[in-house]
Amino acid sequence: MLVHSRKGKWATWVLFFALFLPLFALPLLVIVAASFATSWSSALPTGFTGGHYQAATSGASLQALTTSLVTAVSASLLALLIGTWAALAAAALKKSGRRVLDALFMLPVAVPSVVVGLAVLVAFSKPPMVLNGTRWIVILAHTILVTAFAYQSVSAAIVRLDPAYEQAAASLGARPSYVLWKVKLPLLLPSLNAAAGLCFALSMGELSATMMLYPPDWMPLPVQIYAITDRGSLFTGSALSVILMTTTLLVLLLVSRIRTKASYR
Amino acid sequence: MASGIRFDKVSVAYGANTVLHSLDLTVEPGEVMALLGPSGSGKTTALRAVAGFVRPASGRVLIGDRDVTDLPPHRRGIGMVVQQYALFPHLRVEDNVAFGLKAQKVAKAEIPARVTEALEMTGMASYAKRYPRELSGGQQQRVAIARALAIRPGVLLLDEPLSALDAQLRSGMLAELARLHRELPDVSILYVTHDQVEALTLADRIAVMDKARLQDCGTPQELYRRPRTEFTASFVGNANLLPVQVGSGSVSFAGAQLKVPTGDVASGVSATLCVRPHLVGLGDGPNALTGSVSEVQWRGSTHRLYVDVDGHRLKADLRELRTPPALGDEVTVHFAPEDAVLLSAGVSKDG
Amino acid sequence: MASATLSAPVNKAANPRKGMPKWVWALPPVAVLALVFLYPLALVVQQSVQPDTGGTSLKPYADVFASSAFREALGTTVWLALGATVGCLVLGFALALVIAFVPFPGGKAVAKFIDVFLSFPSFLITLALLFVYGSVGMANGLWTDVTGAASGPFQFLTTPWGVLLAEITYFTPFVMRPLLAAFSQIETAQLEVASSLGAKPARIIRQVILPEALPALAAGGSLVLVMCLNEFGIVLFTGAKGVTTLPMLVYSKAILESDYPGACVVAVVNVLISVGLYGLYRVVSRRAGA
Repeated sequence: MLVHSRKGKWATWVLFFALFLPLFALPLLVIVAASFATSWSSALPTGFTGGHYQAATSGASLQALTTSLVTAVSASLLALLIGTWAALAAAALKKSGRRVLDALFMLPVAVPSVVVGLAVLVAFSKPPMVLNGTRWIVILAHTILVTAFAYQSVSAAIVRLDPAYEQAAASLGARPSYVLWKVKLPLLLPSLNAAAGLCFALSMGELSATMMLYPPDWMPLPVQIYAITDRGSLFTGSALSVILMTTTLLVLLLVSRIRTKASYR
Repeated sequence: MASGIRFDKVSVAYGANTVLHSLDLTVEPGEVMALLGPSGSGKTTALRAVAGFVRPASGRVLIGDRDVTDLPPHRRGIGMVVQQYALFPHLRVEDNVAFGLKAQKVAKAEIPARVTEALEMTGMASYAKRYPRELSGGQQQRVAIARALAIRPGVLLLDEPLSALDAQLRSGMLAELARLHRELPDVSILYVTHDQVEALTLADRIAVMDKARLQDCGTPQELYRRPRTEFTASFVGNANLLPVQVGSGSVSFAGAQLKVPTGDVASGVSATLCVRPHLVGLGDGPNALTGSVSEVQWRGSTHRLYVDVDGHRLKADLRELRTPPALGDEVTVHFAPEDAVLLSAGVSKDG
Repeated sequence: MASATLSAPVNKAANPRKGMPKWVWALPPVAVLALVFLYPLALVVQQSVQPDTGGTSLKPYADVFASSAFREALGTTVWLALGATVGCLVLGFALALVIAFVPFPGGKAVAKFIDVFLSFPSFLITLALLFVYGSVGMANGLWTDVTGAASGPFQFLTTPWGVLLAEITYFTPFVMRPLLAAFSQIETAQLEVASSLGAKPARIIRQVILPEALPALAAGGSLVLVMCLNEFGIVLFTGAKGVTTLPMLVYSKAILESDYPGACVVAVVNVLISVGLYGLYRVVSRRAGA
């Protein structure tokens, strides 16, 4: 549309991939390649081994994976509950009230995750709520961080929802609670799925707040990757990273596969 | 349970912007009332005030003898069909129709029969298991009507229900709606439309709205044959609106004396004369006017001539002419005295 | 509409069937948020004015502001964030332009890839760069293989430039996504008319595309700026003593030095900068209708 000559198009595309591939595709490929390599001291990795995966799926590393999965699932579900509730409540308010809720629930995005970690650490290390040293403090911090994203995507979906459905339901004599359960939530389900996937992915990769909080017996995957690479085991770290990416992708794929009746329209 | 609708000085405003101005209107039980007007005339606002989706700034809305002004929509017992149908996409046709019954906690055993009854009434019984997305626009429309009727409302609100359909389906649905109303003579219907044909075909009475106000209200025949305002004359049907000076038993227009019934309009004032284009004839006759043809439009079964009479454009719809006049030709047109209406509303003394 | 009457108690009394006011439903989630987020944040502010010696004073602020480590971290954080934002904007605009307006087979897949890219954690980029530009990585390996030298010329990874490269790589997709959405709103007919009138691509970009993309650029740019200010993983994985940013300083003060008041001071400064910028982003993106 913009470039018409065949030559110009090819030149543009070559330039595009000359930038795109090394910057975005190469890093991911390199990690995958490294996870199978025995050593890498020249242009290309040398030696093929599955040994890093063996190391990455046993002992502490395997535990880190399950830790991350449990944390991400719990944090996503909690965030979805709170975020959806808040978004629905905000949508019912007038403009000024909605603004306040928007600002409140989007605040965790603006605050650096490290600071969220610090704040949670400061608040929950002393009575009456001592969570420090338990897994709950990690799950709590993750929930805070991803709730903002759940709130944002559900809010956007509510705005897109045609008010005609709600009004049609009300005109048929349905109470607001009935409308919520039988019309609004079913129609929002595809967006809730997408929000859940987003929250899961974010929580799986969360490192900043977790570094401030994790107790020795609840070490999520990103922290484990950091610990391993810090010790110099870059290849095992790569294998763990591949596992992290694959798990995230699989869950995202699974979530996008969940077709609800409302998603056919 | 026949119940009418009454607007009692209902005003609706968004901030400083009044979108409905002190509407007084009564829809009798079992009557079909069309709210006819251009977009922005306040007609949809009036309907939404009955449904409970807008709250009047002042005035009362009554359904039957119940004041529903402060009731939330779900307590009003109305049926409503909107332009885009708003069928629930995640429910099958039968569940869409059953929705209102379940929401109102109708006895479980009773629901299937009432769903079938409503679907049969609209000819959609064989589509009960389908999803809305599997239906055509016309079929969705029928389901929407069935869904509204299933709760057996005393009042049915139709908001531009045919405007999303193509012309052919529309006339079919129009007949269908008329039949439904014959089958349900007790249901009062408030029908919002901008289409005069729909209003004329379906309504017992038409309320003409413009600029947030009720302009005129009457039976279709009254409004068409004896409009009171220029707006009604031009919005309900087509009209030539000629500025005239009223004399006794006649009016003067462009130097010519036209014999028309002047009723009780005082002599000497300026007024507007309404003549329907299809009642204008070509050639000499009573109330003849001469002018030059400024445009000829062939419309298949008719020719429309635009005749320039002393600077005024006169429209004439004539049965298809063998040899239509050429542009610039001098022609004479005429109309019968009883086919002209002197608009009495808004008549003022000259100057 | 109902809420209009709720503010007037007289009206409410006359209308007993109205039920609970709508804001009551907003209370539970707000209460949860207040307990787990706002209250801890307030504690951070409180702790920042309570030095270990007891009492309340601004001494921690004076101490932190006086330290060269803090001033250096602040400077590094800001220039890294600004540099990365500019880089992301330029690169993201160029790449999005090609995907949207010089379409090629597989363009959809590239756009999808970018979405996927967004769901990965940032530190993976640094990890990958270690293999590409690290002291024994691909680039240096290639160099030593070819020239026979003992070590390669690419030693920037543990400097701020390494962080900058990683941030640009990781955050560019965040600019591309809103841009692609904005570009899809531009009617191709508009471009075709412009080019049929003889406008060259550069002119079309400047006069047709850029004005349409400006809101998305502004919104994406300010989002990336905030995220760069708050970025932690990339810096942590770089592992360079020479690169300290504000979040890194918070971490090292709190966890490595157990200097909580100091960590809280840095945290407050960091929050003020990023929340201020984020507020700006919200205003800009609301203007842009994003």
